[in-house]
Amino acid sequence: MLEIQNLTKKYGKHLAVDHVSFTVPDGQVGILLGPNGAGKSTIIKSIAGLLRYEGGVGICRMNSRDREAKKIFAYVPELPAMYDALTVREHIEYVRRAYHSPITDQEVEELLKRFELHDKQNKLGNELSKGMMQKVSICCALAIKPKVILLDEPMVGLDPAAIKELKLVVQELQNGGVTILISTHMLEMVKDLWDVMFVMEKGRIIGSYTRADARDTDIEELFFQVTGGHQEAGQPEGSHPEAGQPESSHQEAGHPESRRQEVPAAGESEKAGEQ
Amino acid sequence: MGSFGYLFRHTAKNRIKKALKRPTTYIFGILIVFYLVMMFSGFGTIFEEFGGNSPQHLAQLLSVLTILLLPSNVISYSKRKGLLFKPADVHLMFPAPVNPKMILLYVGIKNLLINVILALAVAVFGVLYFHVPLLQVLVYVVVFVAAENILEGSMIVLCYGNERLSERFFKILPVIMYVLMGILALVGIVVFCREASLGAIGMYVTHPVVQMVPVVGWNIALIQLIFVGPTTVNLVCTLLFVAVTLVLFVLACRAKCVGEYFEDAAKFADDYAELKKARNRGEMVNGFRMGKKQKFKEATIEYKGSYAKAIFYRQLLEYKKNRFFIFGFFTLICLAVGIGIAVAAAMTDVGQNETMRMFLIPGVMAYLIFIFSGYTTKWSKELENPYTYLIPDNVLRKIWYATKMEHIRSLIDGLLMAVPGAVILGLSIWQTILIVLFYVCLQANKLYYFMLADLLVGRSLGNTGRSIVKVFLQMIAIGISVSAAAVAGVFGGLTVGFAVMIAATFIVTLAGAALAAGSFEKMEVND
Repeated sequence: MLEIQNLTKKYGKHLAVDHVSFTVPDGQVGILLGPNGAGKSTIIKSIAGLLRYEGGVGICRMNSRDREAKKIFAYVPELPAMYDALTVREHIEYVRRAYHSPITDQEVEELLKRFELHDKQNKLGNELSKGMMQKVSICCALAIKPKVILLDEPMVGLDPAAIKELKLVVQELQNGGVTILISTHMLEMVKDLWDVMFVMEKGRIIGSYTRADARDTDIEELFFQVTGGHQEAGQPEGSHPEAGQPESSHQEAGHPESRRQEVPAAGESEKAGEQ
Repeated sequence: MGSFGYLFRHTAKNRIKKALKRPTTYIFGILIVFYLVMMFSGFGTIFEEFGGNSPQHLAQLLSVLTILLLPSNVISYSKRKGLLFKPADVHLMFPAPVNPKMILLYVGIKNLLINVILALAVAVFGVLYFHVPLLQVLVYVVVFVAAENILEGSMIVLCYGNERLSERFFKILPVIMYVLMGILALVGIVVFCREASLGAIGMYVTHPVVQMVPVVGWNIALIQLIFVGPTTVNLVCTLLFVAVTLVLFVLACRAKCVGEYFEDAAKFADDYAELKKARNRGEMVNGFRMGKKQKFKEATIEYKGSYAKAIFYRQLLEYKKNRFFIFGFFTLICLAVGIGIAVAAAMTDVGQNETMRMFLIPGVMAYLIFIFSGYTTKWSKELENPYTYLIPDNVLRKIWYATKMEHIRSLIDGLLMAVPGAVILGLSIWQTILIVLFYVCLQANKLYYFMLADLLVGRSLGNTGRSIVKVFLQMIAIGISVSAAAVAGVFGGLTVGFAVMIAATFIVTLAGAALAAGSFEKMEVND
């Protein structure tokens, strides 16, 4: 489980994230959506422990700063950075040691093959393209065998085969009970994956939905309804009644009573049936 | 700990393996060995000639080094700029379940290793040149490595990782260090006013006030105690140094650190990566402005032309938005050089010799061009911009308009360097114009031949190889010009020879530019 409680982050006088609370339950895929500058990256970096913030971040009911919490937490940043003088394989070995991960050599081999890095495992960090760095970054995160994983724009720079593989990996992790939070702009890529969705604007969560709430409503339609960006829907930009309103209380997506708004939906979705 | 050891070992191993594959490593290796041998043989003679080969002199040298290095280290740590974090640390180390204090020590390991290397170098120098007994040197190495590394490591942890101390404290700490440095400088001025000779250094570093200055002076006291012998002051101050080191160590161990410094370190890593990229591109970047966004003024421009000419006007617009237009640090250097030449000409009889009178300024100019590796400005960014290649114009016009501003800048720099000296030396207007033209031609020559070298060798020879090719090509061009000048000088005299040299440089530069214009043909050559 990933719990964000009253997270507030200021850069100088600029309030980037304003009392944001949400929860991604165990074994579910949360999607963090929002236009540029909404505060998604700030939340992601705060969860990863890279920023100072007010509020709390819980990983499987532990403080995210605790060493035990860090051991089961993996993070794939938007812009991966590699050590220039370490090979692909050495990056994974370093992560294995840093996290004391139980991953076996055989599993590492499979992971590298899965992301078409097997023949490139002796390439140095400074010889990798951006797409390859992203693949290595994903492999490093998976090598931890995490219980909670954070993916910030994970599909950027990946080729179609890798995107397909990543989607499969996400589904496998989900089936294995891993909690996943994905921040992305590529709505199309995550439409089959999500269980809970949080839409951000101006540092606040302006809408949260569960798969069951949404039923058959398209993720794009949901997003534009809540952000007011869908002109055809008859709502001018920023006109959503709750846009910009502060999140006053902790919400757990997945609980219908905690969602901010009802979504016009038609029919039951597969996911809703599963839940 | 295992992960840090793994990272350190494999990074070092891969770097060495990669370096061994490069021929330039061997060339540099030979040069460094040669330099070290020369240095070792030369230093002995120098120290003996100046009568400075006793343990006391070694203590003086180390004390001066302490004054130069220790305060600046403390200031950079307190400003949280002393450790070089990398974006990969932020990605792969900060979120990992490792003690944030250990991350600090790992990143600071280079600084700590420098202390070890310094101590070993002091040991060798001490025994060979300063006749220090081996036991004394060993005591120094052990004490220095232990005390200095504990002190520095503790300072790193406390400055970066202490989450109980307020930001206000870290703003005050550099001020305290500046005050201490002020006290040291003040004592220095007093001592040097009394005794204006090399012997004043000894008086200065053994001065009780200097040794009583917290941390820096106490460190000096320790050095004096080991190499010179005990005095009441150095004994007390050494005890204070040991005490402060232990206190800081205990405080560092007990400090609460969950990694709040990650935010500052991540920003530093990004800014430093940008700085490194800019420096690798050859841009002149001010490290002190790292992380600060450049402010631009409002400006407008009227485009008086189309196609490649638009490149020039766009550059002009960008420069107009700059605070100092096209001028920068190098402009100030040129002005300082110009004034320096004028002062030197006024104070010496260099103007009496006709050849020296004519060639003093061009000589200094040529030297300046030689020592300042070609810094890249807006023109080189044109080669990274796809639109440069897409503009429907020919490459000669593109290279001209992309570099036109550089020639204007050279003209101004040339005037700043030539005019003050020319006035004092009594050169005619024509001679002054020829000197300025010489500078403009030489700068253009360097620019186009460096561009040509990039076009010819790309990145196949690495940065060093490419620099060698650049210098080689420019030497050929200058060789042709100088040969033409020599022939013309024999028949027509100095001024004619000089004019011919400029004309020849102009022609070879034009030829270089025509060949280098290929850089504007396809973007791939710059990849």
